[in-house]
Amino acid sequence: MIVEVGFLFLISAMVISFMGSLVPLVWSFNKETNLTSLISPIIVLVFLFTLSSLSILIYSFSIDDFSVKYVAQNSNINLPIYYKLSATWGAHEGSLLLWIFLLCSWSLFYILKEKDLSKDITGSILLQIIFFFIAFTVFTSNPFERLLPVVPQNGVDLNPLLQDFAFTIHPPILYLGYAGLAIPFAMSVSSLLQNSVNQDWARRTRPWVLMATGFLTLGITIGSWWAYYELGWGGWWFWDPVENAAFVPWLMAVALIHSLIVSEKRGHFKNWSVLLSILAFSMSLLGTFLVRSGILTSVHAFALDPERGVFLLGIFTYFVIGSLIIFSFKNTNKIPETGYTTTSKEFGFLLNNIFLVILGIAIMFGTLFPLIYEAIFDGKQISVGRPYYDTLIIPFAIGLAFLQVVALFFSWGKTENLSILKALAIYSFLFFILLVSISYLVFEELYFSSILSLVLFTIILLGNLLSLKQKERSKYLAQIYTKTGSTLAHIGTAFFVLGVGFVSSYSFEREIILSKGQTYELAGNNFKFERIIKESQQNYSADKATFTVESKNNSFTLNTEKRFYPSSNQVMSEAGIRPTLIKDYYVTLGEELDTDIWSFRIQIKTLVRWIWFGALLVTIGTFISSRRNFRHRNE
Amino acid sequence: MHPLRKQRLITFLVIFFAISIAILLVVRGLSSNLNLFYTPTELKNSSEIKGINIRAGGMVLKDSVVKSKTSLEVQFQITDYENNLLVKYSGVLPDLFSEDAGVVVQGNLAKDGSFQATEVLAKHDENYMPPEVANALKKDDS
Repeated sequence: MIVEVGFLFLISAMVISFMGSLVPLVWSFNKETNLTSLISPIIVLVFLFTLSSLSILIYSFSIDDFSVKYVAQNSNINLPIYYKLSATWGAHEGSLLLWIFLLCSWSLFYILKEKDLSKDITGSILLQIIFFFIAFTVFTSNPFERLLPVVPQNGVDLNPLLQDFAFTIHPPILYLGYAGLAIPFAMSVSSLLQNSVNQDWARRTRPWVLMATGFLTLGITIGSWWAYYELGWGGWWFWDPVENAAFVPWLMAVALIHSLIVSEKRGHFKNWSVLLSILAFSMSLLGTFLVRSGILTSVHAFALDPERGVFLLGIFTYFVIGSLIIFSFKNTNKIPETGYTTTSKEFGFLLNNIFLVILGIAIMFGTLFPLIYEAIFDGKQISVGRPYYDTLIIPFAIGLAFLQVVALFFSWGKTENLSILKALAIYSFLFFILLVSISYLVFEELYFSSILSLVLFTIILLGNLLSLKQKERSKYLAQIYTKTGSTLAHIGTAFFVLGVGFVSSYSFEREIILSKGQTYELAGNNFKFERIIKESQQNYSADKATFTVESKNNSFTLNTEKRFYPSSNQVMSEAGIRPTLIKDYYVTLGEELDTDIWSFRIQIKTLVRWIWFGALLVTIGTFISSRRNFRHRNE
Repeated sequence: MHPLRKQRLITFLVIFFAISIAILLVVRGLSSNLNLFYTPTELKNSSEIKGINIRAGGMVLKDSVVKSKTSLEVQFQITDYENNLLVKYSGVLPDLFSEDAGVVVQGNLAKDGSFQATEVLAKHDENYMPPEVANALKKDDS
């Protein structure tokens, strides 16, 4: 019964969000009827309805209501309770509902945060997006569908890969980022319609983009960390289509953050910012669709569920084409009289945007290329290998890093004095020599990628610190206050790049066979296979191997497991990882070859933690910056 | 030249330059990093694809997996239910690798017609079946 109530809440939310989305239309026909005052109460209602709907679905999981098809397919009676709750977003239907709920939360936050809503139709645009997504859920992906009259005793189970802490928080945070990009999109479209794309619009939009980007960064970071320890391969990024689908919107959002600065401060690039906010949201929609339609495995997979695929493609086309048509008719912005030279902040940001957007498009192209190929060559399938993305991103990363540093010292319009760049070059060179010497002493070898990452690390770190410098001491603190967020985020990229370069240079990996009591030496560390035991848990049984690792200055034990989940008939390895600041020791259990003889994968990963540390700094910096911009604009 | 025009010209040149580099990288990247996908039947009938890096997919044939007791060498047959292909691999197999399940292998075709795999990819879904195999099965049914 309660399940039907949940579905009813969802339908009600669909109906009233549709009514709310009609406000601008009514207004355009009759200038006297301004119904914008209705938008806020409707958003509150839609939020409450979707909240109730989601709560009921979570409740159904908690009481093991296997008469609900979605619960039966993604949960199991033996699943620990916290995984039962997170199983709510373990598959397509539930994650859509979560997505919708989060978009409603953003909309609610928008009407709470924005002061003057009397003529604002942004909320109405948001309701339109909400409406289409609820309609999609209701008509093609209903999570409340019953399995009657035969109710299964036991659920199928949640995919063992997803029975994990990081997975409980990864989707909500990532979706907050995805859905958050709807806010700048809606603000751009509504401002286009009302001919109010101006500097004030840029000022109002920027903190929203920053906040969404913060969540997107955090979501991607957690996903990468999860893949690292859960998949058992020790990789932190695979250029998988699902990852690209999150990375490309991130690139667009970062470009938007920077172009909005120019729009706000100088009045340039306003059309471009509007276009970017459309592009960023389109990429976020495209990402959702690519991941959710199953089209990426094959064009054929798309045909397996044509209803969903066509519906999603319809929504995507509607919003992208619709907003682009509005854009082409309404972009009447005048370019400001003030020009800029090649040594200006404007020009630096322009290059930054060109790089980010082209990189994003090239990555998306690689992701979609197998589909294009399959369509042209009549079903012939291909895959685009990792090296494609690796060779693509390196020149862009170098360009963006140098650009970041140089643009920090540029002024608006024209830069008069560039002598500080000379000082930066000298400091950087000395610091770089120091770091290279240390690396050589520690690792006894240097590689292209470790040297490159050290160059980028040095210039980004020193460049950002030096840019805080002011002539007068009294301005120093004010400068630090205003630039905390952006400086942290920029320095985060330095740590990130260093981690990436060192992991690819100084990592060791061996696949080996060991019998009990045997020792294997890898890069001066002794891995001793002590014992292996069988273990039984609530919802799985496991082989558990124990290692003693002796490195130069300490020794510790590592446990690695191979689990068998009977309810879903799946095998899962749990890697044994010893994280330290400099190195991760990483052991994965393979298979039993003979009595007490097992295969293993043993790895040492250098500076891998710095990748996520850098990404976390970017997240924190972005949030700080968002908060400061929210405050600043209300002053 | 008028400053505004000069500015536009420079902007245009930069965009042009950046796009050219990107296209160069994309074309070069795609021409050397594409892995074509074949079924056992296609591999049997084709003679030109020996030696290059390709992917093959099918279902792991029941009782065909032979593991060494002293090394990481393993061999197994994959099938599209028309033809079989012998795959040789050295390394730890992924968790989801099992008999009667779908698998995609990457590597190249050896002279003796067997497939030397450098990578074995089992998808993160126990019900996964390479689309070609699924298609082949569908054709059999009809």
